[in-house]
Amino acid sequence: MSALRSYRLLVVWQARRMRMFLPLGIVVQGLFALGIVAGYPLLFPTIDRTTILYLATGGPVISLITMGLVAVPQLVSAAKTEGTLSYMRSLPIPRLVYLLADLTVWAAVVLPGVVFAVIIASVRFGLDLQISPLVVPSVILVALTATSIGYALASLVPPMIAQMASQILVVFILMFSPLNFPADRLPGWLAAIHSVLPIQAMGEVMRGTLASNSFPITLGAFALLGTWCAASFAATSVVLTRRA
Amino acid sequence: MLLQVEEVTKRYRRSPTPANDSVTLVVEAGQVYGLLGHNGAGKTTLVNQIVGLARPDSGSIRVSGRDVVADPGFARRACSIQPQSQVPIDGLTPRQAIESLGRLRGGDASVVRARTGRLIEALGLGEWSNTDGARLSGGVKRLVSFCMAAVAPGQLVMLDEPTNDVDPVRRRLLWAEVRALANEGAAVLLVTHNVIEAERSVDRLAILDHGRVLAEGTPAELKAGIVDDLRLELVVDPDAGLIETPQFAGTHVVAGNRITATVPASLAGQAATWAQDLRRTGRIEEFSLAPATLEDAYVALVGATSALDNTPEETDVRAA
Repeated sequence: MSALRSYRLLVVWQARRMRMFLPLGIVVQGLFALGIVAGYPLLFPTIDRTTILYLATGGPVISLITMGLVAVPQLVSAAKTEGTLSYMRSLPIPRLVYLLADLTVWAAVVLPGVVFAVIIASVRFGLDLQISPLVVPSVILVALTATSIGYALASLVPPMIAQMASQILVVFILMFSPLNFPADRLPGWLAAIHSVLPIQAMGEVMRGTLASNSFPITLGAFALLGTWCAASFAATSVVLTRRA
Repeated sequence: MLLQVEEVTKRYRRSPTPANDSVTLVVEAGQVYGLLGHNGAGKTTLVNQIVGLARPDSGSIRVSGRDVVADPGFARRACSIQPQSQVPIDGLTPRQAIESLGRLRGGDASVVRARTGRLIEALGLGEWSNTDGARLSGGVKRLVSFCMAAVAPGQLVMLDEPTNDVDPVRRRLLWAEVRALANEGAAVLLVTHNVIEAERSVDRLAILDHGRVLAEGTPAELKAGIVDDLRLELVVDPDAGLIETPQFAGTHVVAGNRITATVPASLAGQAATWAQDLRRTGRIEEFSLAPATLEDAYVALVGATSALDNTPEETDVRAA
């Protein structure tokens, strides 16, 4: 059977399975984006254009990352506990196709939230974002990287640990990652950590493509993200193929 | 031979005893082969190794002559499986789930659709065929999961406890479908701890205990050792106190207020008189004397304690 046919059947299968969750996931993602773009400014008595730009472009990224690093590990862990993952692994489907189909469905949950966040920001702050066509591959790369890291996390560690790790990640991403603020505000050691982690790079590629008139598009960020994406994809494939 | 398992040994990390210990068995096309044993005997471990979810430490597994330890991809194409756990069908209707699986296994759309309809009909699932999987009862889900293994069956179909939670009427329908799979040419490997059902449904079987094959053969061959035995079953009056099992009784099992013992056929008259006396004096409620079953052979092999893992707590009524 062709890989393309398997992929198509699996996307339909997974989309149907998550039929209940899909609308809810989309709404939660939208609310999340709204909260960051419209709620965060309340923290500041006065707000300048740079801050607004950071919030407006940071919102969609946080939306993408939390979906991949928080929701995906929780749901994949649950699938592992229920035996669903083993069942899918016993079917004659290439593992890579299974992974890609899953990631496709996840991406579909996140994307409306991203678009919504951008619209809200533009309307709320009267921003004139100069969106580059490169935004499409950027969103795909960020979504793919975040979901494959989440998937790898859930595949590699026991379910309980994966759930806890994903909770800790939320705090780290929201409060200690240079997504809603410039990286130069971080203490040196944390900035050093972020220079190798994919979070900052996710922020940079999204900012550079959503507001290309205000932020540079850096090749380095794309390269770092690509590496993380490939590594986590490979780790997950290995785990999915491993035999007890 | 379609499935050939030779000297397979599998030891999980952090487990002192092997899950499979030199397991050897052969299943032919067209055969329903039972894999019997109590919980933890190593049945599911063997299935997982055949389909490539686990890897044997030593030994070989061949499906249609191909080494599936070296080529797990072939194993997944050649085997269809009904796992012991429930399959993920929340959000899908039985019809959607069965059809999707048939197509994912490479079945042609129209053939899969027709076969799905036939299976739903044959197992009496019509009234639920368009209900969301999340709202189905455990037994119905089990049957759907069977259909998912049977809709585009592999050369080897492995069913892990297929009748769990299934009502008695549909169990019969299910067994008929299991037999139909074999008649269509598949080899069926049936994992169960329900010995009574297995006796009626399998062509051959292996009894597994602590990872080892204790006995292998047809149900008749396995009963050969106890062919001269009868099965005496007593239902004890809980208030009547202890009953001393007489000399002539062989292996006996106590489960709740029920005592089952083997009795040599030559002593049938003596046993009947003894039991009748107990009944007359009100110490037992009823008794029966019948030819020994596969279950008796199983108990004799595995031992009474292991066989009781699914029975209720013992009461204060005991065989002395």
